[in-house]
Amino acid sequence: MSAFLSVQDLEKRFGTQRAVDGVSLDIRQGEFFALLGASGSGKTTLLRMLAGFEAPSSGRVLLDGQDITALAPNRRPVNLMFQSYALFPHMTVAKNIAYGLEMERLARGEIAARVDEMLAKVQLAHLAGRKPDQLSGGQRQRVALARALVKRPKLLLLDEPLGALDKKLRSEMQLELKRIQHEFGITFIVVTHDQEEALVMADRIAILKDGSLLQCGTPREVYEQPLNRFAAEFIGVMNFIPLIRNGDSLTTMTGAPISTVAPVPNDVQLVAAVRPERLEIGPLRLDTSASESARPDNRLTGTITALAYHGLDLQLHIATDAAPIIARLTADQAESRDLGPGKTVTLSWKAADTKLFPA
Amino acid sequence: MKAPASLTLTILVLVFAFLYIPISVLVGLSFNAGGMPTAWTGFSLKWYGSLFQNQDILRAAWNTLIVALVSTFFATLLGTLLAIGVEIRRRRGRMIETLIFAPMVIPDIVLAIALLSFFSLTDFRLGLHTVILSHVVFNLAFVCAVVRARLRVFDWSVAEASADLGASMLVTLWRVMLPVLAPAIIAGALLAFTLSVDEFIIAFFTAGSSRASITLPMQIYSMIRFGITPEINVLAVLVMVFSLVTLTLAQRFNRGSLTGP
Amino acid sequence: MQDRKSLFLMTPALAWLTAFMVVPCLLILTLAFFRRGVYGGIEYTFTLENLRLVIDPLYAWIFLKSAWIAGLAALIASVIGYAAAFAIAALPRRNQPLVLFFAILPFWSNYLVRTYAWIVLLNREGLIVGLARGLGYEGELPAMLYTETAVVIGLVYNYLPFVILACYAPLSRLNPEIAEASSDLGASGWTTFRRVILPMSFTGLATGFVFVFVLSIGNFVTPALLGGGQFQMVGNLVYAQFLTANDWPFGAAISMVLIAVMMLFLTLQTFVAERGSGGGLR
Repeated sequence: MSAFLSVQDLEKRFGTQRAVDGVSLDIRQGEFFALLGASGSGKTTLLRMLAGFEAPSSGRVLLDGQDITALAPNRRPVNLMFQSYALFPHMTVAKNIAYGLEMERLARGEIAARVDEMLAKVQLAHLAGRKPDQLSGGQRQRVALARALVKRPKLLLLDEPLGALDKKLRSEMQLELKRIQHEFGITFIVVTHDQEEALVMADRIAILKDGSLLQCGTPREVYEQPLNRFAAEFIGVMNFIPLIRNGDSLTTMTGAPISTVAPVPNDVQLVAAVRPERLEIGPLRLDTSASESARPDNRLTGTITALAYHGLDLQLHIATDAAPIIARLTADQAESRDLGPGKTVTLSWKAADTKLFPA
Repeated sequence: MKAPASLTLTILVLVFAFLYIPISVLVGLSFNAGGMPTAWTGFSLKWYGSLFQNQDILRAAWNTLIVALVSTFFATLLGTLLAIGVEIRRRRGRMIETLIFAPMVIPDIVLAIALLSFFSLTDFRLGLHTVILSHVVFNLAFVCAVVRARLRVFDWSVAEASADLGASMLVTLWRVMLPVLAPAIIAGALLAFTLSVDEFIIAFFTAGSSRASITLPMQIYSMIRFGITPEINVLAVLVMVFSLVTLTLAQRFNRGSLTGP
Repeated sequence: MQDRKSLFLMTPALAWLTAFMVVPCLLILTLAFFRRGVYGGIEYTFTLENLRLVIDPLYAWIFLKSAWIAGLAALIASVIGYAAAFAIAALPRRNQPLVLFFAILPFWSNYLVRTYAWIVLLNREGLIVGLARGLGYEGELPAMLYTETAVVIGLVYNYLPFVILACYAPLSRLNPEIAEASSDLGASGWTTFRRVILPMSFTGLATGFVFVFVLSIGNFVTPALLGGGQFQMVGNLVYAQFLTANDWPFGAAISMVLIAVMMLFLTLQTFVAERGSGGGLR
């Protein structure tokens, strides 16, 4: 496979601290790629190395077969959309967008034509004469995007592109970004700390922690098959149940058996992990006479401590003697059951839905 | 913090009286008709007229204007570049900080004699040009301080965006940094200009003994030592009004950050 | 890469400062160790005589006298300046910038003019004498101009705005809830001021005091104009060595001691500032 952008063993040290610690990535042309991590994970430093604002301590960056590791920012066919948007406050919207083209010394007529075309595409034609401080947050975001896109870069980097917007606008813009990326066919790399944003927008996600790459894959892969406990915890909600191992058999701290189809790691301390929506909630049943085949693989008993609606979904907080558990039901499912704080319920799930991680 | 309103008001009235009565008396007496500079004998503008007939004063004013304009030009250029250079560094060099801060804290008299010794021992002919060289020293420090204050609240990603869009360092400096910093640079230049117009001690030591290189503050000093005349009152008022106007302008440009804490 | 650009931008200014500040100041330091030439020039032989002369009682006395006057001016300016800053900080927040601006404004007018204003007020036919006569006082009035008092008044007047600015900074950042917490815990107004407000704004007071002291001790204009010809402070001594007595090495030696005293105070002030910048400020 020939990667469009190839990041090879990239490392950045500030003094003794390793902000980016040997990251390798291959990104395909036209891909919408997300770098996901908490603050301090090294994601922004990685992005700034791709843009040319930080010189790597070691490693290489290849773009379209060309080594760009040592290329200055103004000589790279790569553009960055800054977190603060970094619009030029003393220039109008049109001037901001034209700036990058003027740097390429294009003919005046061509610049004007491309600026107009871009203004139309991001629906800002009516605001061409405004200064940045006369724009709303969403409009500024689109100017910043247009300013970077108009140069037709091979690669567009976006640093927390939606971070400064309010929640409602953010979810609109997630789809808008995706549409624009599709329309231009430019490779996007987005830095974000918001896992939901990454899941919605990206074709592939890379999870970073302490400067290292933890996992890289499609949203479905990282959600369904997290490679480690941090990745499992960082994407979506995950329940963790501490385990005791007795040879090959695993039980909770209070002795309830846990079954799984996953291979058991060699570590001494283990936790079982299960997603909230994989849990079945049922009334407390004391009889154990049900036939062997109908019995669920895993079962715990607990007391509901709190209920919270998330949109149409109901989130249940349940105290069990093995661990505190969060379960998720649709409103329909919740309707038919008698649920409320203080009720005792059973939780059950399939062996296939149980992941195992070193504690 | 709670203090009785009457107490705060009393303090303020007394302090402002102390600060403004001497200046006000001076302004009042500059319109005095009589020849006695301190006793009121009626309103007149005649001393303003006679001031503009005084060749010594006019020449000193002209010299001051040249010194202030030329030294402000160099100080603004060097001070602005210095400010940007210092602020884009990652590490704060203690040496450089001290060097930049020094012209503002070294007592004038020390800098004055140091420069006088330096110019004499290196066989520099003293004159207006040596005053200009000397004024640039402290003026550039003040311009640098004002521009740095603006740079501390500057979003550096704007400069990075310019580089990212293909601009070289000089293009970024010219098309992005300078326009954004312009108000601070103008304020710094006005401040430097005021300081230079008012500066006495360094000019006094570095101007040499020729009467041709006397600046306005030097002229005022020798007039005061000679005795009180109505002309000094007028000159003092004009000099004061000039600095206050320039400073208020600078304050305007810089949105109050010259006195702001 | 960033550091290379930075050096490129800083070089012209740093070169200027080196040529016209660092080198001249170093020159003064070395001059102090040379002998005075027969006709006022400099004889390049090493000597400590100049420094010994500085601590000669005749000159040491001028140093002490200058320190006394500078200290007095600094003390008075600090008390008045702190009170003024306190009063400004107690005003409604939106009025504070304007009042502060007018308190600082005189600082930006010409130093000579401000000093001259006091000659007009204090001289034998000046406003103050005129006022006393107008009120019917016929007796002998003490001379006011060309006295030590006049010099102190002049210094306080010239540097007061600086103290106000220095004290206002910490006072304006003081969270009013801290003073309220103190009275809530049972402290009287005075105790709150002494135990809470003053310690938290002491840095500004120290800065103001030190700067007035440092600026005053080396001053030669105010003593020359308000103290009359016979009144000498260190600044006038330096002035005389360079412009009339033509004994540059001795002038340089006096300056060196002067700089040492100033450095001592400025270091002290930095120390206080670093110790005093505690929490509780907004």
